[in-house]
Amino acid sequence: MTTMVCRCEDLTEDDIVEAIEDGYDEMEKLKRHLRLGMGPCQGKSCTLLAERILCRETGKDIQEVAEPTARPPSQPVPFSLLASPKRGEQDE
Amino acid sequence: MTERRIFEHPIIDFDRGEEFYFDFEGRKVKAYEGETIASALYADGLTKFTESKKLERPRGFFCAIGKCSSCNMSVNGRPHVRTCVTQVEEGMKVKRHGAKPDFPEKDIGRGKDRTEKDVEFAIIGGGPAGLMAAITAAELGGDVHLFDEGADLGGQLVKQTHQFFGSHEEDAGVRGIKIGDDLVEEAKKRGVNIHPETKVIGYYEDRKIAVERNGRFEVYQTEGIVYAGGAIENYLAFENNDLPGVYGAGGVQTLMNEEGVVPGEKVLMVGSGNVGLIVSYQLLQAGVEVVEVIEALPEIGGYQVHASKIRRAGVPINTSHTIVKALGDEKVEGAVVHEVDEQWNKIEGTEREIDCDIICLAVGLRPDTGFLRQAGCEMEYIPELGGQVPLRTEEMRTTERSIYVAGDSAGIEEATVAALEGKLAGVAAYEEITGKENEKTESLKKEAKDGIEKMRKGPYGQVPRQGVKTCTVDEEVCG
Amino acid sequence: MIDYEKTGVVKKGDIDVPDDERLEKGPVVVIECVENIPCDPCVAVCNFGAIDMDEITDVPDIDFEECTGCALCVTECPGLAIFVVDCSYSEEKCKVTMPYEYLPVPEEGDEVTALNRKGEEVQKAKVTNVRQSGKTYALTLEIDKENVWDVRGVEVKR
Repeated sequence: MTTMVCRCEDLTEDDIVEAIEDGYDEMEKLKRHLRLGMGPCQGKSCTLLAERILCRETGKDIQEVAEPTARPPSQPVPFSLLASPKRGEQDE
Repeated sequence: MTERRIFEHPIIDFDRGEEFYFDFEGRKVKAYEGETIASALYADGLTKFTESKKLERPRGFFCAIGKCSSCNMSVNGRPHVRTCVTQVEEGMKVKRHGAKPDFPEKDIGRGKDRTEKDVEFAIIGGGPAGLMAAITAAELGGDVHLFDEGADLGGQLVKQTHQFFGSHEEDAGVRGIKIGDDLVEEAKKRGVNIHPETKVIGYYEDRKIAVERNGRFEVYQTEGIVYAGGAIENYLAFENNDLPGVYGAGGVQTLMNEEGVVPGEKVLMVGSGNVGLIVSYQLLQAGVEVVEVIEALPEIGGYQVHASKIRRAGVPINTSHTIVKALGDEKVEGAVVHEVDEQWNKIEGTEREIDCDIICLAVGLRPDTGFLRQAGCEMEYIPELGGQVPLRTEEMRTTERSIYVAGDSAGIEEATVAALEGKLAGVAAYEEITGKENEKTESLKKEAKDGIEKMRKGPYGQVPRQGVKTCTVDEEVCG
Repeated sequence: MIDYEKTGVVKKGDIDVPDDERLEKGPVVVIECVENIPCDPCVAVCNFGAIDMDEITDVPDIDFEECTGCALCVTECPGLAIFVVDCSYSEEKCKVTMPYEYLPVPEEGDEVTALNRKGEEVQKAKVTNVRQSGKTYALTLEIDKENVWDVRGVEVKR
């Protein structure tokens, strides 16, 4: 039975529940342990579902659950964007 | 394969460009100029766009607006191209690569010179809120730059084929598509510098923003920012919820109303809020059967008039119902639903199968606030506004100096409120940055505030009204 | 909970309707908009001042005596919730005008299927008038008098 939570990283509801049982009981910990929300969509589809599961499993109120830290780049960009131009080669 | 393009529509005239062919995995596929790769492939009958990276599960397109990466393919030898936001070209070579893409066939380029530029106002997001903020700040004399990742501005207005509600003074009775076009025209007329196809990828200290445009990295040092990045569609947990054929309502709208391609033949709509009801109506207009609308709550979430409209067309709406499973191996071939009691518990014996090939999720929106969190704005969870929202003053300033918010990013509401919030944020940002407060700015602010108050009256306004009260703080608190 | 909150289907008793005397006089508006939503284009479009609202979130307050049944508001209402009924048409038949935004668009004289508020067939009916405003049409159907409070939808076959 597969109920998908994080489409980018292929994390199912069972994966999240298991991680919470292992003690990863905060969004930031789940993110570091599972790469939850670290794929190309940057947590746009999975965050809410993971928060709900976290609340259900730990009894926390959703208001106490902090969203994981947001960092640039917020969208996928090619590596070449961050690399410097070849020496002696300016913009075309 | 069945042709999924819409050629006759009661509301929209699809102006297709020249017909040509491109190569998909060694096969010639028809496309029209202006279509995205994903919509041309979907129109041709493709449902499986990729395989997921660990479990190798089939995936279809999902969001249709370049956010989810479920449609990534190799294009002309370059892997990981988001086909839903890339226009198809004659002779293009496209293939699926699933979890294991080939190494790029050729050098795909290196960094280009970075540019850094000073601007007065940066408006992020070209929907109703961002456009109104830009128009207003420019009208007052500001140097305004508007950034949007799409080629066409207007945000979600461009897929709204229905006539808008609201006051006749605020464009009620006009279709969303038209409102979007009018606002873009107005912004151009007012001298707003519009940057389409430009992605804002990060916030850096002292109101610097980083953008990506055409493979180039650009940095803008701004004095004031209005963030109007909109909302994200909520996803729903049920078995096989990632099968091709399970699509977000927004994705379906994009495919159907912008690209002119129907999602399938028989749709199960999950969610009876206004989005679910309106998209159901739009599906019917495109000639697609809506087999049923289900709603987990005991009552319909959206307006009675929207519900009545689809009921008259014979679509059943079943409240106290939830979806538990999507059926099918490679794509949706049905769904399993059952009834729930007031405590959301399953009512035994009510489980049944629904015959459908599309499951459309319209289960709410949540504010897109990643940029604001990067900027250090204080956030609070406000259920009435759809999730985490930034604390702000009555005039839409966040807890960070010179950073404003408007529209769905400030809390989920209707498009008219978004536009009015944009107007208010535009004036307030102008006042703060230029130090110019005068009769004109006062009267514009009053218009916007009165308009917002008017829209939030009545029973439907009670929810946002309560939410906004909780996250509105005094100017002193904002620092 | 009121029924329509669960079903999306209003009943005659949920709406403000003209009395029998007014109905016999000629065409008149029936507005099936029962919630306090922020919307007012019907007020602005009426040339006779027959529709009024104090607040934008009020339900339309209709003066049936002022209403001429011109049906301009039928195509103007974003909720497609306005109809015009004409019981003065003949002894057995009456007319119902309703908004229509599907394909195909019928022509005058065509036979169509008249539906109730649940999309169920009530009777076959003749289209007596087709008016276009923007992309929205107002279709007038000739139906049996006894069905005047049931017929609110239409199915047009290709």
